[in-house]
Amino acid sequence: MKIICLVKFTPDVDQFQYDYEKNILIRENVKLVINPDDACALGFALGLKKKTPEVVIEAVTMGPLNVTAMMADILRRKVDLATILSDRQYVGSDTYATSRIIGKYLETADYDVILTGSHSRDGDTAQIPGQLAEYLKLNQISQIRKIDQPSMLNKRALVEVDSEKYLETYEIPLPAILSVGRESNYRLPFVRYDDLDLDVSDRLRIIDNDSLAVDSKKIGLKGSPTKVIKSYPIDYQKKEQVIVKNDDQGIDMVMAFLEKEGYL
Amino acid sequence: MKKKCLFFYEEDQGNYVKDLLEVARQMYGENFESYALVINPLDVNVISGFDYLLAVKDQRLKDYDLINITSLMAECQQVYQFDAVIVLATQLGRMLSPRLAMRLHVGLVADITAIKSHPDGTIEMIRPAFEGKLLAGIINDGDGPTMMSVRPGVFLDQQSTAKIPEVLACQLQTIEDTGMRRISQIRKPDSRDIRESRVLVAGGGGVLKDFDQLDQLAQALGGMTAASRRIVDSNKADRTIQVGQSGKTVHPELYIALGIYGALQHVAGLNKVKHLIAVNTNIKAPICSLADIVVEGDAAEFVRKLTTRINENKQAE
Ligand SMILES: Cc1cc2nc3c(=O)[nH]c(=O)nc-3n(C[C@H](O)[C@H](O)[C@H](O)COP(=O)(O)OP(=O)(O)OC[C@H]3O[C@@H](n4cnc5c(N)ncnc54)[C@H](O)[C@@H]3O)c2cc1C
Ligand SMILES: Nc1ncnc2c1ncn2[C@@H]1O[C@H](COP(=O)(O)O)[C@@H](O)[C@H]1O
Repeated sequence: MKIICLVKFTPDVDQFQYDYEKNILIRENVKLVINPDDACALGFALGLKKKTPEVVIEAVTMGPLNVTAMMADILRRKVDLATILSDRQYVGSDTYATSRIIGKYLETADYDVILTGSHSRDGDTAQIPGQLAEYLKLNQISQIRKIDQPSMLNKRALVEVDSEKYLETYEIPLPAILSVGRESNYRLPFVRYDDLDLDVSDRLRIIDNDSLAVDSKKIGLKGSPTKVIKSYPIDYQKKEQVIVKNDDQGIDMVMAFLEKEGYL
Repeated sequence: MKKKCLFFYEEDQGNYVKDLLEVARQMYGENFESYALVINPLDVNVISGFDYLLAVKDQRLKDYDLINITSLMAECQQVYQFDAVIVLATQLGRMLSPRLAMRLHVGLVADITAIKSHPDGTIEMIRPAFEGKLLAGIINDGDGPTMMSVRPGVFLDQQSTAKIPEVLACQLQTIEDTGMRRISQIRKPDSRDIRESRVLVAGGGGVLKDFDQLDQLAQALGGMTAASRRIVDSNKADRTIQVGQSGKTVHPELYIALGIYGALQHVAGLNKVKHLIAVNTNIKAPICSLADIVVEGDAAEFVRKLTTRINENKQAE
């Protein structure tokens, strides 16, 4: 059984620091990390492989080449193959163009199932899995919190989905795109101490557009139907505010306000 | 000629779908016709506010069958040539909209928070971007309808007309067997929704360690607790109580923001909040500029003090 896991690397937003004086975001030294949902999906795949060694896992990402070290790290966690789709022409792709690039690769790849995250932490559009599913003409489902292991091997995946109102179970014939949510709590295993410096270069491939050959009119900024034409500063409607300290007087003020406005 | 807008109608989200009419109004003024598409409705008579209803009755078509629903909507697009397709960002809507966008070869903008129509007819969709520091105005360049998804509660239907839609026949030509089956569906115990609470006591990064204490204050005020994404990402609270762009849009009368910075993605979830109290060690945090009262200091300490005071007050009465 061959599993492809799509992974995206995003800035670790929790590490962002604000310079409150200048009101800017300090971006230096912000690490890229594997998107949390994607880590869960990969964690599930590795769990299955641990029980069923004949499972082969390929991790696929599209992005700049500075993710190479992190893809190598994924290989050291027992993923079999890592593929980076990277080309200068891909810069600025929106979700439509991105799905077409990843889709073009997947079309030729060999897989029984594609696992993705439900949504990414930075873009948070949750659009890529659905767009890809349409491109590849596959069933797709998001917010998975549990995948039944044996059913995967039987090629009819049983998945539990958490939509806000319901808990649902679906049976989905493979191949399909299964998008895992963070609530699944599948964890990425650590790298074994012995493998920390393992040379994995022979299992890591970088594919550019010379070999992938997506129509150059369909990629990057110019191939993206959605275009950012303008940006606006945040228009916080300033209120006339009272500033108080967190002392008895301050609490008195707050109490008086709550009283006056009828909250008590 | 009137512009045509298609809305995907989920019966258990009816009022939120109706709110999307406001998006169309802000794009086209009154110069549009609204079409709601509903699949196997239990009761079409309760659907109102739209000009037309494309009611599809076909028991082979399941509500989770996105491949065939996409085909159906693409066929409708062929027939009616909609100018805009507006989808509510529910679990289903979030899976359906990207599929349909790919099928129609058009761009899709997720979670818009505002919309602008230019004199030349360009529609600009606005959403928070760039780590919450700026809003981005996005257009759909190319042929085909303008497509977007909108979170529940972000737009509010100002007119809420009870117009009875004219029902139009609609049928999918060929149904594909996708092989997918729903085996069970269990309704979760109805928990209170933060969107329905008059008072919200919300915590962020500044109360990471003390988030549990917020409940006491919320109870004292008869409200509910809510959280920023920082809290949810740290597994201190469930996603259902997250406020913001990727959480819920709320409109309480009173919002107490405890140790919340006020990133745009968070503030995007505050709609028509009447009163805001911000407690922050840094009074320059953007949330403070939205506040009626800013309390400078430690938020957990504030929670303890205020809870004690409210409870003392109650006992004295
Ligand atoms: C695509 C996308 C979608 C997003 N969607 C959402 C969303 O839906 N909701 C959301 O909330 N965020 C969202 N975010 C994240 C958002 O940009 C911020 O990262 C997040 O809101 C920050 O949370 P915070 O203000 O609680 O924490 P922080 O940024 O860590 O701020 C903590 C605040 O607490 C203050 N503070 C520190 N210590 C104390 C103390 N002891 N007492 C009082 N105050 C203290 C600090 O001065 C600061 O103002 C999204 C981001 C992206 C990229
Ligand atoms: N550039 C990318 N490379 C690989 N996978 C991606 C990429 N972008 C998105 N994905 C996958 O699609 C999911 C949803 O991402 P998004 O649509 O950006 O919210 C992620 O969790 C990933 O699994």
